[in-house]
Amino acid sequence: MKRSTGLIHKSIFCNNHSKPLSSSRFLSTQEAVERRNHLFTLEKKRQHEKIGRIEKIEVNYKGVPKNCTLVMNKGISTPYDCARHFTEWHVETSALALLDGSVYWDMHRPLNENCTLELLNYTVNEPQQVNKAFWRTCSFLLGACASVAFKDTVPVKLHSFPGPDIRSGSFIYDIDLPSLEDWKPTQQELYTLSAEYVKFCRRGLPLERLEVGEELAKEMFVDNPYKEAQIPSIASRHGNVTLYRAGDHVDISKGPMISNTAQVGKCTVASVHKLSGSPNSNVKQLYRFQGVALPTNVMLNHFAFSILVDRAKKRVSFIMSNKSYQIFIYFFSFHRYGTIIIS
Amino acid sequence: MNQADVSKLVSKLRIRVPAEPRKLRNIKGPEGRIDKLRKTVTGLIKYERIELNSNRGQEARQYAERLISEAIRHGDCHKPTMDIADYWLLEKELIHKLFKVLVPRFQDSNTCYTRLLNAPRIIHSRNPDKVILELKGNPYPVLGSNKMNNRFLIQNVLLDAAKYDYRQAKYAEFAKKIVNKEEKIDTTETEAPSIEKQQSDDKLTQS
Repeated sequence: MKRSTGLIHKSIFCNNHSKPLSSSRFLSTQEAVERRNHLFTLEKKRQHEKIGRIEKIEVNYKGVPKNCTLVMNKGISTPYDCARHFTEWHVETSALALLDGSVYWDMHRPLNENCTLELLNYTVNEPQQVNKAFWRTCSFLLGACASVAFKDTVPVKLHSFPGPDIRSGSFIYDIDLPSLEDWKPTQQELYTLSAEYVKFCRRGLPLERLEVGEELAKEMFVDNPYKEAQIPSIASRHGNVTLYRAGDHVDISKGPMISNTAQVGKCTVASVHKLSGSPNSNVKQLYRFQGVALPTNVMLNHFAFSILVDRAKKRVSFIMSNKSYQIFIYFFSFHRYGTIIIS
Repeated sequence: MNQADVSKLVSKLRIRVPAEPRKLRNIKGPEGRIDKLRKTVTGLIKYERIELNSNRGQEARQYAERLISEAIRHGDCHKPTMDIADYWLLEKELIHKLFKVLVPRFQDSNTCYTRLLNAPRIIHSRNPDKVILELKGNPYPVLGSNKMNNRFLIQNVLLDAAKYDYRQAKYAEFAKKIVNKEEKIDTTETEAPSIEKQQSDDKLTQS
């Protein structure tokens, strides 16, 4: 499987790799990714050094194998570190932490004060928040996979991804590909994107979280006009800008996200649809990448999964209200006409 | 040819019965084996859930199933069944439990009366495998529940939404069909009065 995907990848993207980079662009996608990753590392190191003297906090763990109290480092230890005190099962299956029974916390986000801790996996009784975090992470990873999947000659500008809506059937990333005017991906290209996605997830990368100031965030996303434009409004709402990193891909997201990319199991990039922007906005057109994925431990029949993939191929629009209204009308007209015929 | 049909003499158990009985090692030989099993069957009827070594659990299960099945088949007015119950249940108050509690509980069931589950095993330990033997319908918390039925799990949410979409599409199809039919009916109705009129006109002319 691994070898064949590699071959497909080669055969599709080796056609005209010898073209020189266009001089109009300031940074290639790859260079920008590396630069952003470097800045992220530096900032993370700086924040870690700022802590100074290490203080201790008490974390009351609730759950299997038994309730206990852990003494951890303030501002350094994460729920992931707490999980490592128990078993490998805790480390691998925990997706999200629940603090004080109410706050959903990333597994790789440092704890700042005394709290109670529960570790949530995908099979807990009420997994809604875990599912949302999973879906959000899938969108994030779709951006990461798209930015490495294309050749250097095709610039990739990530635009944004909407909040997780699982019932829509697919996770989404809107991406601008300025050099591709009218691209309709072939089935083979979708397979390649899916293969890239699988390869990225199999690397088993932790999802790191970092809060940075507005200035630094702007500096990091200097190559991407869309992100740069979004940053001031995010910063004015939340004070800081929250960034996530998997491997060397860095993106803005509100969070929380799951613990590790290895928790993404079956996944498919199902379709890419062209969106045309409204005439008065500065965005001309975007490509909406859609996919569907399931956590690693979920065993789903391939036929059932194919139903989900077929559904993910349909374009998801945010103006759902109109469509659902039509369906609503249909439903009621069905009843009305039904009574007429009987009488 | 003269052999009796075994299935008419003995009720068929709903569990798999191995061809050979297991030897449970003890100093008294076969008699000691039966004693061990009597104790286990009594314990099962009394406590409804017990933890055992795998061998003994699997062997005792067959005797417990047979006992309950005979009790359901013949009831408490049948002398041989009463003798069997008296022999297998060491504590005599359990005979009442068998006929008054377990027979009503199991008489309508279509499956076996007991459940055998593997107990967790300590890795690299030299202890034999353990099993948990329980009567169905016991009051204890469920063991080894199937957690995949939770409708909030992500795969169930996705499949549920897909099902909803499919149904909506079908409703829309039906609605369209019915609208088309109705239009046809409307057109025929509008034509019908004109025919009547013609007929009445004809009548007038005839008269």
